Amino acid sequence: MKFTCHKNVILKEISIAQDIISSRNSLSILSNVLLEAEDGTLKIKATDLKVSFETQIPVDVSQAGSTTVFCDKLLGILRSLPEGDVEFNLTNDRLLINPVFGKINFQLKSIGSEKFPEIKEIEDDKYFELPQQSFIDMISQTIFSVSDDETRYFMNGVYLEHQEGSLSMVATDGRRLSFIKKELHNEINDFEAVIIPTKILHLLKKLSSGEGNLYLAVSEKNIFVKFDNQKISSNLIEGQFPNYSRVIPEHQEFNIVVSKKDLIEALRRVSLLVEQKSRRIYLTFATGTITLNSEESEIGVAKEEISCDYEGDGLTVALNYLYLLEPLKVIEEEEITIKFTESNKAISIISVPEKDYFHIVMPMQLD
Amino acid sequence: MTQNAGKGFGTGEKSIINVMHDPENNSNRDTFSSAKVFFHVDMDAFYASVEQSDNPEYRGKPVIIGASPGKRGVVSACSYEARKFGIHSAMPISQAYARCRNGIYLPVRMKRYQEISRQIMEIFDDFTPEVLQISIDEAFLNMTGTEKLFGSPTEAAEKIKLTIKEKTNLNTSIGIAHNKFLAKLASDHDKPDGLYEVQKGYEIDFLNSIKLGDLWGLGKKTLILLENINITTVQELRAVKLRDLKHITGNSSGEFLFNIVRGVDPGIYSGKIKKPSVSNEITFEEDTENSELIKLTILELAHKIFFRILESGEKGRTVQLKLRFTDFTTVTIRETLEYSVNSGEELYKLAVKLLEKKWDGLTAVRLIGLGLSSLESNKTPDQIELFPNTYDQARKVEQVVLDIKKRGSKLTKASLLKHTRDDS
Repeated sequence: MKFTCHKNVILKEISIAQDIISSRNSLSILSNVLLEAEDGTLKIKATDLKVSFETQIPVDVSQAGSTTVFCDKLLGILRSLPEGDVEFNLTNDRLLINPVFGKINFQLKSIGSEKFPEIKEIEDDKYFELPQQSFIDMISQTIFSVSDDETRYFMNGVYLEHQEGSLSMVATDGRRLSFIKKELHNEINDFEAVIIPTKILHLLKKLSSGEGNLYLAVSEKNIFVKFDNQKISSNLIEGQFPNYSRVIPEHQEFNIVVSKKDLIEALRRVSLLVEQKSRRIYLTFATGTITLNSEESEIGVAKEEISCDYEGDGLTVALNYLYLLEPLKVIEEEEITIKFTESNKAISIISVPEKDYFHIVMPMQLD
Repeated sequence: MTQNAGKGFGTGEKSIINVMHDPENNSNRDTFSSAKVFFHVDMDAFYASVEQSDNPEYRGKPVIIGASPGKRGVVSACSYEARKFGIHSAMPISQAYARCRNGIYLPVRMKRYQEISRQIMEIFDDFTPEVLQISIDEAFLNMTGTEKLFGSPTEAAEKIKLTIKEKTNLNTSIGIAHNKFLAKLASDHDKPDGLYEVQKGYEIDFLNSIKLGDLWGLGKKTLILLENINITTVQELRAVKLRDLKHITGNSSGEFLFNIVRGVDPGIYSGKIKKPSVSNEITFEEDTENSELIKLTILELAHKIFFRILESGEKGRTVQLKLRFTDFTTVTIRETLEYSVNSGEELYKLAVKLLEKKWDGLTAVRLIGLGLSSLESNKTPDQIELFPNTYDQARKVEQVVLDIKKRGSKLTKASLLKHTRDDS
């Protein structure tokens, strides 16, 4: 195998490959990246056995072939090289890396590509098309609500569900929930609802250009995504996602409209003095104002009043301020509606005007 | 921080308290006249004494209770006669046997000890409404204001000792002081068959007479830490400034030590003190690689621990599992959760996850320990759950079981039944 390409072109892809490779498996085939040169194209593959990544870049191939090398070091080498074209040459189980200009010579030991785990594939007709931006929006609105508690493994991913003409995503950690539903105009191949691990979703968010379409396929155990020149797949989380529709409040008593920016800024200030383990902050809604305050502690206390659109009796709720702040950060509109009924019932956070997503937060005990 | 001081501070003591309170000042002494009176009642060599009482032929002989010689296991308890051979509880049974071949080796008859224990606790109920049982053979009695009924504290204690002797034929040691911490130390003072009162004003003298390592709550590690800086007596420890203590042993330990060497109750058995962890371990009679048995043992440990947690009104977030393999290599693994463990069931599941990380399923296991730490009061702010939590329900069930158990009934989780041993 022998090919030449510009350092920056291959560097970008190898750094994505390294993101996928599990760093714990040092010096096994799983810490290697697969390189396959043929017909003017270099295929790059990496996997941690759960998430797999494949991409193609145009290179100048003078001899077809394939091999695998330690990805971490390949990345380090590429980063260190000066700008310009680099020649890669496989001889005697060693990958020789030489910049075309300069007297630099790296040799990486290789492992034959036949040892590389097979990456799962799915038939082309299983894929359906949707706008990249829609899918990225769905991920952004939900992913932060996923639970990282391994004992609740079925909440460690985002729930993807197909309904007539739409896709919805739901994430919850059992204390708050984020929901988004996108109406789609393309035809969707029907699939059973699945729980997608966050790793592939973070990766998609990072790699997607947001332009054009992506192609999605869901099988019983895996999800496959194709976009631009890249293919990413992941296993799914097996388990029963909670029956989320039951906890979405049908009707809530009170509506409060408030500026998102005012609320974020007040939360950032008051949370400075909130006890950081429980993160409990108090919000008191009264006619025209929301008062945010921390608990009095050894350090001190913080209080801030912001104006809002609300008429009604004073009512106080306590909640984890992050559960309020995180949805606010992903809501794009400038105003939000907070809906609630009682101090121990779910609170909804909705954008104004209402869009295709909402967030639900359970409060904390008041004292 | 309040200090109970009186006359009798060690000579030459230059502690903060001396500045705050004039030891000879009578008005200061007066504050003690309304002080509380606590008894710590501790049965002498309880298991062994029960055996000796039930079997008169064992009296005056070294009785060792625990595993039988030749088998794996440790001494659970032993009589004073056995202690003369250097035998003590937790000693491997093989060592005990090497020291005393003519001893009487008996299995643990937990049911019988519990029966006697209940009898004794009932006796206490006749003396005060405020009985705090802290183990099978120990209790605190709040005897404040009982002088008119039973006479001076010493007289009352004599009566309790006599009643127990009459009804169960067992000897008791009682410590009397104005707080539980000192009372507990005092019950050890004249053991066995002891009675010792820490007089008001003489707390410091009393503490000075105690070996540093015998202070309640002062663990081996702290002891070594202190020895390293040449602190080997209570007096020497008292001379260390709070600030320095905190620096040496950490903030909460420092404050704890500062208090106890001054006779101030750090809050033992009142829920005030933060216990670092609740844990329990079991040594298998024979090393085992049977994963069913190992998991059952974990289940048993998880439930035991959780009942203790429920009883103390606490909750914990760090689960730790200890495994000792057949070659005596010992591993521990811990995991700290973002939320607290809700039930014995959940603790079990978490522990099995840890087991799977550290055990290859092949190596024989000798000992399993399970612990729950990062304990805090159950009353810390609670996040309301979105979904009805199955573990929450489990916790409620376990609370009910605990209440039933407290009333004296025996309840065991079905999957533990065939596995239940006499000591559970």
